[in-house]
Amino acid sequence: MDRVVRGLSGLSMERVKTGVVGLDTMLNGGFLPCRPYVVSGPTGSGKTVLCAQFLLEGLQQQEACLMVTLDEPPIEVKSNMATFGWNLDRLKILDATPDVRAHKRAGAVIDVGTSLDVRDMEDVTDIRQSSQVRALEVTVHSVQKMIKQEFFHHLDRTKQRYRRIVIDSMTALKMFSMQGQDSRILIQSFLRFLSELEATTLIISEHLDRKTLETEFFLGRGEIRLHKWIDGSVIRHAVSIEKFRGSAFDDRMRPVSIGAKGMVVSFDAAPQMRGTSPGSKPGESLLETRLIDEVSNVIENVMRQIEEAHLRQVPVRDVEVSLSRAMLFFQRRNYQKTMKLALACDAELKERLGKAPPRPPTMMPPPPPAVVR
Amino acid sequence: MLHGGFVPGRPYIVSGPPGAGKTILAMQFLREGLEGGERCLFVCLEEPPNELKINMRHFRWNLDDLDVLDANSDIRRFEPTPLLEISTEEEPAKMRAIGDRIRKTPEFESKEVSVHSLQQLLKNLFVNKDYERVVIDSMTALRYFCMREFEEAVTTQSFMRYLTESKVTSLLTLELPEEGEVPPEAFLARGEVRLHKLRDETGIKRFISVEKYKGSSHDDNVYSFDITNSGIVVNTIAKPAMAV
Repeated sequence: MDRVVRGLSGLSMERVKTGVVGLDTMLNGGFLPCRPYVVSGPTGSGKTVLCAQFLLEGLQQQEACLMVTLDEPPIEVKSNMATFGWNLDRLKILDATPDVRAHKRAGAVIDVGTSLDVRDMEDVTDIRQSSQVRALEVTVHSVQKMIKQEFFHHLDRTKQRYRRIVIDSMTALKMFSMQGQDSRILIQSFLRFLSELEATTLIISEHLDRKTLETEFFLGRGEIRLHKWIDGSVIRHAVSIEKFRGSAFDDRMRPVSIGAKGMVVSFDAAPQMRGTSPGSKPGESLLETRLIDEVSNVIENVMRQIEEAHLRQVPVRDVEVSLSRAMLFFQRRNYQKTMKLALACDAELKERLGKAPPRPPTMMPPPPPAVVR
Repeated sequence: MLHGGFVPGRPYIVSGPPGAGKTILAMQFLREGLEGGERCLFVCLEEPPNELKINMRHFRWNLDDLDVLDANSDIRRFEPTPLLEISTEEEPAKMRAIGDRIRKTPEFESKEVSVHSLQQLLKNLFVNKDYERVVIDSMTALRYFCMREFEEAVTTQSFMRYLTESKVTSLLTLELPEEGEVPPEAFLARGEVRLHKLRDETGIKRFISVEKYKGSSHDDNVYSFDITNSGIVVNTIAKPAMAV
């Protein structure tokens, strides 16, 4: 371990602990306070788990913590975290998932910023329904406004500042709202905004293309990168620190296990990266093409049924919400989640259309049932 | 490696991916100047000065006399509010005077940094203060965030040209993606020092190379370097590493 913390030691400074065993050691004690950091990695590499542990650590230190979720509705975050048995009840969660938007007749769109939805984790019980008249749209501006409102409300109510904030995720924020706008300036401004709140922030971002320079990666004061690859029949995880301003750090890639207690970094063995390292292999692109074909088929099928439902005046708004979420996963090449959602939509639509003539909307069952097409 | 150092009065580029050590190298360049009693200016476009100060504390360098210009744009406003041009607002502050907290965006007006106003400001500063070394950290931020109404390539070129004419030795940092193409700034400068970051099973290996150096001979080899307690140290004694 001694060689890990080489150089630059000395001057002790307050650090923000990550809550992940071993990661603090890699970071030479933890994050530097009040700065934004990026957590990157492919889907399923443990980004959200890492961030949840970061928030859990904060809660245990009696710090106020906020999670801003753009990717998954709070209920799903909650059920995902339930498996670890963590007490995240006091975590504030800001629901910034957008309502249905795609393939829809023109209608009034209001900023999500006007309907603030912050809840304690323990109060999260079901999915927020899209309003029947207007859809909430998410923009950088509205998310910023929501966070700001919540930050100062909380300060007023409890005299406590939020110390830890997680944005899950930047990728989603970009997908939702930045078409046509100058996204770099918006991100710069957003990061500046986060810095001025003086909370330690983790920003989840999927780095899709190594050839482009994403703004948050060079503006963030550090980057924790999570890796995932297939080694024979096992999936292996690892973590590395790519950048960490103002501190020494362990620059090796360390193996990670995600178990019942969450994420743990181990220092015993160097990860076997040879050959099967992350990155594309021949054959993978073929596999991807086939997956895309398959998923698009299901989605097309669902869209046809939605049109049919509109014609027969069967209410299917909630299905549309699910489908637009599926489309977002699709854009981000998360085919597994896309497929799961699309199949759930398919099943739900089949059921409702089967029961025509139309009846009042039923709620979608939260866990998508296993379905045969 | 540079056969003696930079030719004075010209702009140079330090490029590399995030986390390679560009800011540290640039800071060492200014420290060298300060020790020789030169006037030095650091223009921050990526991180607030308070963080810069904390980050550099580890090296125990005496940077008290360094002038730092905070050219970070404020939080952008979406409502129409008066925008302050940086050229009328900002003055560089001495490093010793920089506090621990971040500057807050004022409630009713935002400062916006445009390349035009920054250039104007630098012009005034160069006339009044007679700087010998200037660091712009980074050109990428300048290009990404300060050229909203300008054509990027042309504006960058004219900014570099302006630096050449101002007779200041300037060092511009440039962010590189992990793979792929080098941004056009590299071609415009008089020289480019490139930092490389490679990862293998023993950790991150850092290398440095001189990609281009007009008006002087230079060393073509790629050398490894470490970031130590006293900053960047290039291992010129060791055998040159493999070509990157």
